[in-house]
Amino acid sequence: MVPVIHSKIQIPGLTLNIDNAKMLTLYLKTGGANRRGIKEQGLRSFDPSKKIKEKEMRTKKFAYHMLALFVIAATVLSACGGGGAAPAPEGGVAVPSDLLDACKKEGMLSIIATPASWANYGEIFELFKNTTGVELNSLDENAGSADELAAIDANKGNTGPQAPDIVDVGYAYGQQGIDGGYYQPYKVSNWDKIPDTVLGLPAKDPNGYWTGGYYGVMALEVNTAVVSTPPQNWADLLKPEYKGQIALTGDPRSSNQAAQSVFAASLANGGSLDDVQPGLDFFKQVNDAGNFVPVIAKVGTVAQGATPIVLAWDYNAFGDKDSLAGNPPIEVIYPSPTIASMYVQAISAYAPHPNCAKVWMEILHSDQGQMAWMKGYAHGVHQADMESRGVIPDDLKAKLPASSAYASAVSPTPDQLSAARDAIKNGWDSTVGVEVTE
Amino acid sequence: MRRGGVIWSWFWMILGVLYFFLPLLATFMFSLRAEIGHLGFKAYQNIFSDPQFQLKFPASILWAVLTIIVAILIFVPTAYWVRLKTPNFRPAVELITLLPFVVPAIVYVFGLVRTYSQPPLLIVNSPALLVAGYTVLSMPYMYRAIDTGLRAIDVRTLTEAAQSLGASWGTILFRVIFPNIRLSILSGAFLSFAIVMGEYTLAQYLAKPAFAPYIALLIQNKAYEPAAATIISFALIWACMGILQVIGGGDQAQIAGGH
Amino acid sequence: MSTQTKQDAPKARPAPIMASWAWLGLMPFFVFAFLFLLYPSSTIIVRTFQDSQTGAFTFKNLINLVTDPYVLGAYNMSIKISVVTALGGGIFGFLLAYASIRGGLPRFMRSSLMTFSGVASNFAGIPLAFAFIALLSPTGMLTNWLKAVGFNVYDYGFTLYKFWGLCLVYMYFQFPLMVLIIAPAIDGLRREWIEASENLGATTFQYWRYVAFPILLPSILGSMILLFGNAFGAFATAVALTGGSSINLATIVIGAQLRGDVLGDAGLGYAVAFGMVIVMSVVMAGYTILQRRAERWLR
Repeated sequence: MVPVIHSKIQIPGLTLNIDNAKMLTLYLKTGGANRRGIKEQGLRSFDPSKKIKEKEMRTKKFAYHMLALFVIAATVLSACGGGGAAPAPEGGVAVPSDLLDACKKEGMLSIIATPASWANYGEIFELFKNTTGVELNSLDENAGSADELAAIDANKGNTGPQAPDIVDVGYAYGQQGIDGGYYQPYKVSNWDKIPDTVLGLPAKDPNGYWTGGYYGVMALEVNTAVVSTPPQNWADLLKPEYKGQIALTGDPRSSNQAAQSVFAASLANGGSLDDVQPGLDFFKQVNDAGNFVPVIAKVGTVAQGATPIVLAWDYNAFGDKDSLAGNPPIEVIYPSPTIASMYVQAISAYAPHPNCAKVWMEILHSDQGQMAWMKGYAHGVHQADMESRGVIPDDLKAKLPASSAYASAVSPTPDQLSAARDAIKNGWDSTVGVEVTE
Repeated sequence: MRRGGVIWSWFWMILGVLYFFLPLLATFMFSLRAEIGHLGFKAYQNIFSDPQFQLKFPASILWAVLTIIVAILIFVPTAYWVRLKTPNFRPAVELITLLPFVVPAIVYVFGLVRTYSQPPLLIVNSPALLVAGYTVLSMPYMYRAIDTGLRAIDVRTLTEAAQSLGASWGTILFRVIFPNIRLSILSGAFLSFAIVMGEYTLAQYLAKPAFAPYIALLIQNKAYEPAAATIISFALIWACMGILQVIGGGDQAQIAGGH
Repeated sequence: MSTQTKQDAPKARPAPIMASWAWLGLMPFFVFAFLFLLYPSSTIIVRTFQDSQTGAFTFKNLINLVTDPYVLGAYNMSIKISVVTALGGGIFGFLLAYASIRGGLPRFMRSSLMTFSGVASNFAGIPLAFAFIALLSPTGMLTNWLKAVGFNVYDYGFTLYKFWGLCLVYMYFQFPLMVLIIAPAIDGLRREWIEASENLGATTFQYWRYVAFPILLPSILGSMILLFGNAFGAFATAVALTGGSSINLATIVIGAQLRGDVLGDAGLGYAVAFGMVIVMSVVMAGYTILQRRAERWLR
């Protein structure tokens, strides 16, 4: 029996510490086999190899210090990184001052599904920050239009930064948002300047629930380092030389851009704005020919060569071309016929920061905002008006794609878009041969 | 171990190394192509100078460390108590610890947002909710690791011995039990650390700064930087694991008694 | 070996009255689990039985679930992929772990493998998908290397974007997970047993067949079940690689329904999630049984 167990009297100098506890355990587990060792050396002074221990101690101390450093650095960085609204220098936009003050009080704007590289939105972010000095919170840049409405729905009643204030969605989602009660109305100060129709379709909701902002045309984005002879039109996409090279920018069941790619294909293959089935059939052909690659195309996969031919909005294609700057070279080709479609913006009915959202809308419809989009190769709804006023610089005009290229573009109505999306949603899997188990 | 056996060991190891490193190598090679014409580290420069990276990578490390601490504080006493005092509750506790495996992350985070975005439980904006969520996600691994460790030591005898020396429960837990299961906690901590660093859904939908949403953001806008960020994160997380291992006491496989 | 003094009565055999308060010690855990796991996840159950349009109680979602061939196919595919990657990941992960722990390799390899596995076990989603794309796409690094020696994998019908390609990618986090989980069990294989069996004249094969495998098998199977769960719940990697277009998984269906618009059926999404919970619960029950058996040998 180890004497130490017997009594509760403190043996002088013996304290229960880590080493003693280990010794105790060893002793107990081995049934007292090490008794002689303990007796000989005494519990207190049991220290098999001091040197190894010291080295171990030093390494541990070092590691503790590193960990502490990490944690401190992390705390400091996240404490001072996140907040801090910058003061508002020039470069802002003139907006009604009562709105501006209310927005400053709100302190944040949450946008969703809006990458900075989409139609040069990055510049609009800067415009907003310069105008208000308020924090811009960008949620879920990978989301599609459907996800945006889902986010509003999931965050009803949530006033935190997870709830989006403003959405930028495909044209059909304008009416859909109204039906779902997701939007609140707001008419920007130059509401009357917005044309009634753009591309033959209403450019604004009469009650102000949504407002058209910009539009683009479906085009082919081609990585010419991988594809030496780019396809010029829809029929080319079936050629065997493009095996495993054609991709979409998203899942057509939830991404507006991808769904409209299918819609555009339908126009070229005997379909119409009311009938998207030929589009599904066309993609089935592309898939059967082995030309379709199911990877969701991003600028990285285009550059890498995994998705060298992508169906995307022209402004996105041109944006990728600019950002890659020839590494690799990108060519943008307009197939004919093709689809043009507007993206609309709306303020969430449950927006935690409605005034900032209103400031955002004002910026979008200001000259600077519209020009930012145009620099991003999109066509702002105010373009005709700005041209007549002569405010568009010549170099910008030269950059924009010639309108002859997409003279054949047609634009579907919201009902046609919704019907098409339904058909695509239900038909996509069987059409493109999703691997359902045999 | 017989000599033939060692050859097999090398064989499997080399196969494993090949499988693990080739994709990383491909990513690395791609990340070097950020400048036209020649290979270079421009993408890496861009990442390191990006204030978003400087914010979000340390933030994720912070969440990971906090999660590990909270997990240890909650699960070690619980596992100990179950083993020692309330073995009847073991099936119930184990079932709960396996539940996070079963619930899809996106459903879980929507549930969290809905529950905690209304007063009086309005903590949806607090980092505490994120850490709590991460702790829940790491629960299957952490609890299992701790439990394995406790199973291997004789909890009852240790407790009795320490009690007879006059130790309080706190002392028992942190000075007697804890050091003996250190290796197991370490292995659980490894997994938890990696889980938090790679976790996207919770951080994204709770709108907290974290590294995985940062990479997702990069992928939307940039071609070469995501590859560089991947490599950087791999290297840095590996380094953190190394630090964790040193803190945890190196790779001694033997502790009390030895197998 | 009774060693008590008068005052200290260790609670080795708690009297019934003492025992009834012991569960209080578990309260922090239960409260935590309730607040942050059980209650938020209860929406799955609630909304499975709730009509997504009207909010009324209904079995409609469950009926849709079991009658829709598309959804059933998704479950089937998810289970297939999980089984394959659990088996493959389990076997190769075990071999790796054994090689580094007991295989006679240099000591540093074990700790390197462990730390690397810690990192790799959560390398998933878009970065992992992209890594494999960079490696094996038609313009990928390995594809180019093999082309340089005259071997074009794509001529043989290889593709990364179908079932086997996805399995290959999934292995990247399955192998390391297996390594991490099985390591303690391999540690539990006492060296004395190898020595003893050698002394008794057993060959390596006999050692494995009669000593090692019977002992390790419950742990291996139990770990494979965890791997199954890991693959079953994976979502981001599959979407990143296939866009949800070329392969159909239960998690992708949930994502599509929950993140979809008004036309997406949230009720169906939750029902699919509920179904996944059921499948996983069955699997977990199997895991628990196997764990009990494995315990005997680790003591």
